[in-house]
Amino acid sequence: MTTNPLLVAKDFKSDLKPIWCPGCGDFGVVQAIYRALAGVGRPPHEIAFVSGIGCSSRIPGYTTAYGFNSVHGRSLPIAQGIKMANPDLLVLCAGGDGDGFSIGGGHVAHAVRRNPDITYIVMDNQIYGLTKGQLSPTSPCGLKTVTSTYGSFEQPVNPLLYLLSYGAGFVAQATPADMAGMASVIEEAIRYPGFSFVNIQSPCVTYGQETQQVKAHRSQMKSLASVGHDPANRMGAFELASHYGEELYTGVFYRNPTPPPTYDALFRGRQAELATKVPRDRILDMFVQR
Amino acid sequence: MSIPSVSGSGHSSDLTIGMAGSGGDGIVSAGESLIAAAASQGYHAIMTKSFGSQIRGGESSCRVRIAVDRIYNPGGVLDVAVALNWEDFLRFGAELPVGPSTVVIYEEKTGVAPDKLPIVGVVPTDVFAVPIAELARKAAGTDMAKNTIVLGLLAGWFDIAPEGIVRGIRKRFAKKSAELVAANEEAFRVGTEYAKSHPLRVPRVLKRPLENTGGKMLLDGNDMCAAAAIFAGCEAFGGYPITPSTEIMQFLTREIWKYGGTVMQAEDEIASIGVAIGSSYAGKKSMTATSGPGMALKTEMLGLATIAELPLVLVNVQRGGPSTGLPTKPEQSDLFQAAYSGHGDVLRPILAPTTVADTFRITVEAFNIAEEYQTPVIILSDQEIGQRKETADPIDTSQFKIIDRLKPTAVELESYNRFRLTESGISPISHPGMAGGNYLASGIEHNEHGDPTGSGALHKLMNEKRFRKLDPLKQRRDLFAVEGDVDADVAMIAWGSVAGVCHEALAIARAAGVRAKLLVPYLIYPIAEEVYDDFFAGVRVGLVVELSHQGQLYRILRSFVDVPRGVRQMTRNGANPFQPREVADELMKLASAPAQVRGAAASAGVTQ
Repeated sequence: MTTNPLLVAKDFKSDLKPIWCPGCGDFGVVQAIYRALAGVGRPPHEIAFVSGIGCSSRIPGYTTAYGFNSVHGRSLPIAQGIKMANPDLLVLCAGGDGDGFSIGGGHVAHAVRRNPDITYIVMDNQIYGLTKGQLSPTSPCGLKTVTSTYGSFEQPVNPLLYLLSYGAGFVAQATPADMAGMASVIEEAIRYPGFSFVNIQSPCVTYGQETQQVKAHRSQMKSLASVGHDPANRMGAFELASHYGEELYTGVFYRNPTPPPTYDALFRGRQAELATKVPRDRILDMFVQR
Repeated sequence: MSIPSVSGSGHSSDLTIGMAGSGGDGIVSAGESLIAAAASQGYHAIMTKSFGSQIRGGESSCRVRIAVDRIYNPGGVLDVAVALNWEDFLRFGAELPVGPSTVVIYEEKTGVAPDKLPIVGVVPTDVFAVPIAELARKAAGTDMAKNTIVLGLLAGWFDIAPEGIVRGIRKRFAKKSAELVAANEEAFRVGTEYAKSHPLRVPRVLKRPLENTGGKMLLDGNDMCAAAAIFAGCEAFGGYPITPSTEIMQFLTREIWKYGGTVMQAEDEIASIGVAIGSSYAGKKSMTATSGPGMALKTEMLGLATIAELPLVLVNVQRGGPSTGLPTKPEQSDLFQAAYSGHGDVLRPILAPTTVADTFRITVEAFNIAEEYQTPVIILSDQEIGQRKETADPIDTSQFKIIDRLKPTAVELESYNRFRLTESGISPISHPGMAGGNYLASGIEHNEHGDPTGSGALHKLMNEKRFRKLDPLKQRRDLFAVEGDVDADVAMIAWGSVAGVCHEALAIARAAGVRAKLLVPYLIYPIAEEVYDDFFAGVRVGLVVELSHQGQLYRILRSFVDVPRGVRQMTRNGANPFQPREVADELMKLASAPAQVRGAAASAGVTQ
């Protein structure tokens, strides 16, 4: 594990040209990730960046880190496997709201309760962009899309409340309307020792609603610090997070002031405790009947 | 009937005992004691267990086959049947077949008269109604000792490893109390005495092994698979509980930490293969295990491992299907799923062990193939192999070569292309943490560097690469075994647990003067056409024997190989085990049929 203070944001930018639409919020997110990674200072080859499927899941390829653009909804299991294999790696996970809270929704709670030292970034645009504008799990109720012609019936999920109630030790929100704030909150999430979650309100310029564009965010966003929220106050975080969809809070909702041991630390402990000098080729000895 | 069976001297060198009772009767634990005793005295033995689907209580049964020479299957018709209660015994039907020469021992208080056994069409000659519960209460003061009485009866009548059984009783109960040891020793003695005072019409004393080689291993296929994985260098396992494969995860959960590895019981089947894929991407040998329904869920991720060219071993311990099917019974009906499930053009190697013992070699081989060719490899085991206990001679692990994935050299890392189009199709693979090896792994089609592409030209080249790299597998003749008369025109093919039945069926047929041969493929897929072509050359008639309704290997063979018209299927649904004798009879019937009838039999022989 190494850090290099000389690394700068552009060291994390790959030569691959993003496929995103001009003006997509994800351009801001990837820039913020470059800055956050430069701030943390781990060299790109010690970073594994995993994603699922969707516009935002293209993001690992736009970095110089090791990337894994996997299948829809399964970034978290793969990321945990990477962490299991090599806990020294910095492991990032990213995807969209559909990837994380619809098809892959079953994995989030379990990743949180294991508490691996992984940062999960969701680019939440309340729409399926890659498949051209269908209803997503965070779409507001009543939204008209090509798959909800007359308006949807379902209430949206609240990613912030989900993560808080699953027991995540770090829950934050950001928007590309505040680049400095987004970069700093991502860096803080990476530095948090345990599972950390950043919900980024990352507008879809092509299929998103007018009120969900960067320009609108500038007037809507309210920093949690400005409303006097103490990130150590978990119940306060629940209250503020319950306004998802109505208020655009940015910053850290919750940071566990006394982080519990990570999954990685626990399994390393078990490996150390049980380590044997008996070579692997003696494994069958236990079955011999005497 | 096991072969060879009863010799003129009243000695037997091979006995198959089947026992059934209710959950609380301890019949399975009696079987465990019996096989452990036999193993400790140098016998070869196989034990299978079968349960009703109840979690506790309900019916349970086991079969223990004990022999002086190496055996390959759990045996056919029982030599000895033990019924603590007839209702439970009969539930197991074809799993506990009774014949005229079966010695039947049952609980007297079931009230069944010895000449009125509820077994249709069979009148066994030696039948004993034994007051098992009463003897247990007298000897040990409790019904709980019924299974020890049974062990005593078996030792008394057949002389099965009595010293080993007593040693086992002492070992097992010593932890509890001296009184329990004494009570069980007494129950064992009482059972033995009872048998001695009620002699069999024809004595069937089990011969002692020629020399007590002792020191045999005793384990099931799932434990063998897990142990082999550790030997092969597996350091990461993702799993989800599913019958009948869970013991693989349970073994690794106990052992893998000792070797620096990690196990995760994931939240679902999909996550468990995801974890294994992630670990492999990060450079560790990894595995996941499941059964049919779980395999269905893992299928999308298997495709990911194929296109991202990541080594991975997936074990499917097959059970009866479709859907929940018969979770506790073996079947060979997941071959189509293993070979063909998933979308896109995919070629995945499939290996199948045939015994607990060769599960070791097959598992090591699976890791080697996965690593060498950067591909997922499927091990198709089945419930019988996975969960049967079997003796195995200690394995000389020094004969195994361990293969690791090809890593890029320092020079290659200077301008690294993860998916470089090489002649062999294999490109050096880096992993996170390796400076200069940074690349994007992806489920989307990619160019040599790993960048996503929608190019049809590149897609073609990459498909060719992913298929080309597996070509050498078809030349792996060491992954096939041919037994018997290699130039015979009568042939059998069997894979997985059925191969052991056919091994003995072949011996019966050849002992009866039929020249015949048997091909056992351990590499099931890709189909090694040349191996089959060579085997079928000159074959007039034969059988492909499979434990499934359709006979899936036969059907796959017909799409790749010119299967001679006289070679037909012998298939059976799971939970209805084949017996060597009936397979041999079928083969001999084919062999002796006149030519014109043969043609008719061949065309009518394929069940649809």
